[in-house]
Amino acid sequence: MKFDDKIPIYYQIKNYIYRQIIIGELAPGDKLPAVRQLAVDLTVNVNTVQRALGELISEKIIEPQRGKGNFVTEDKQTIEKLKKLLITDQLKELYENLHKLNVTDQEILNYLQDYINERKQVQS
Amino acid sequence: MTNTIEIKNLNYRKNYRSILEDVNLNIESGKTVGLLGENGAGKTTLMRLIAGVAKGASGSITVAGKNGVPEKKSFISFSEQLDGFNPSMRIDKIIRFYEDVYPDFSTEKYNQMAGFLQIDEGLRLSALSKGMKEKLVIGLTLSRDTKVYLLDEPFGGIDSMSRKKIIQSIIKWKSDDAVILVSDHYVSEIASILDEVVIIKDRTIYTQKSAEEIRSKYAEGIEQYYESIYEGNDTND
Repeated sequence: MKFDDKIPIYYQIKNYIYRQIIIGELAPGDKLPAVRQLAVDLTVNVNTVQRALGELISEKIIEPQRGKGNFVTEDKQTIEKLKKLLITDQLKELYENLHKLNVTDQEILNYLQDYINERKQVQS
Repeated sequence: MTNTIEIKNLNYRKNYRSILEDVNLNIESGKTVGLLGENGAGKTTLMRLIAGVAKGASGSITVAGKNGVPEKKSFISFSEQLDGFNPSMRIDKIIRFYEDVYPDFSTEKYNQMAGFLQIDEGLRLSALSKGMKEKLVIGLTLSRDTKVYLLDEPFGGIDSMSRKKIIQSIIKWKSDDAVILVSDHYVSEIASILDEVVIIKDRTIYTQKSAEEIRSKYAEGIEQYYESIYEGNDTND
């Protein structure tokens, strides 16, 4: 994984794990690799991985089991909420950027619909 | 957290020239710290003083609570350039020497590293290229299991694939309370493994900052931050 050195790495690790969970690469109940293994795989400091996991644990996205390791939550609602949060983040950015271009709400909807139609045509 | 390295009011002169002035520095146990600064800023001198190789400084350097040079040396693995060895000595003899002198030297770790670094033990020291010698030095330095590792520009002549593997070995083997102090002027490659950076400028410690703090507070990469300090358009603090 390539990190952007301008963004805190613990934050990028969190996002990486979020995405793994959303796309199902890490399924509910799956065990995460050991902290040190994650650090080696991502070529980052162990302390940084620990910080990222610590936050994921307090967000209840992952659950530590004593002596066994860290597991992806099996609570479907938590994962659903996470997915919604990530989608909202993307929408927020799109919405704000378009507003800066003086595009109205209705226009955003129209443009988005047109864009989706265009993409469909490209694919078919 | 306890400090593994404590430096107080360190001053060092050589040939009537001041090299380091009023250096105060604490490094907590377990941290991986990048020591950054221009050529000639005093990075190597500071490492040599911590390691007890350079002498004659005023002030104090405490390592793992100890002040005496022999005690400190037993805690410190320093990437010395093997200058003390006879150039005609074979590499396998040098490895045996490390095994004999350092009870914490792990031949197993060394062999693993030597494997991917492709160090030929049958060669004599004088036959090694610059890059090969650097690989040997880093292999020997990291194969000890100790409290402090001082890596003085360890990657200069080493190809990027080997560099990556060395960095991975560091992550894999570093014990939780060990301190690594690594100097380099190419920051980007080691940036992701650093807890903190210490920048030497104008013969003293210009700043000591958490790597993640630099990213979150200034939205800058470590390299950018370091360059901004040296270019003098430092808008921070």
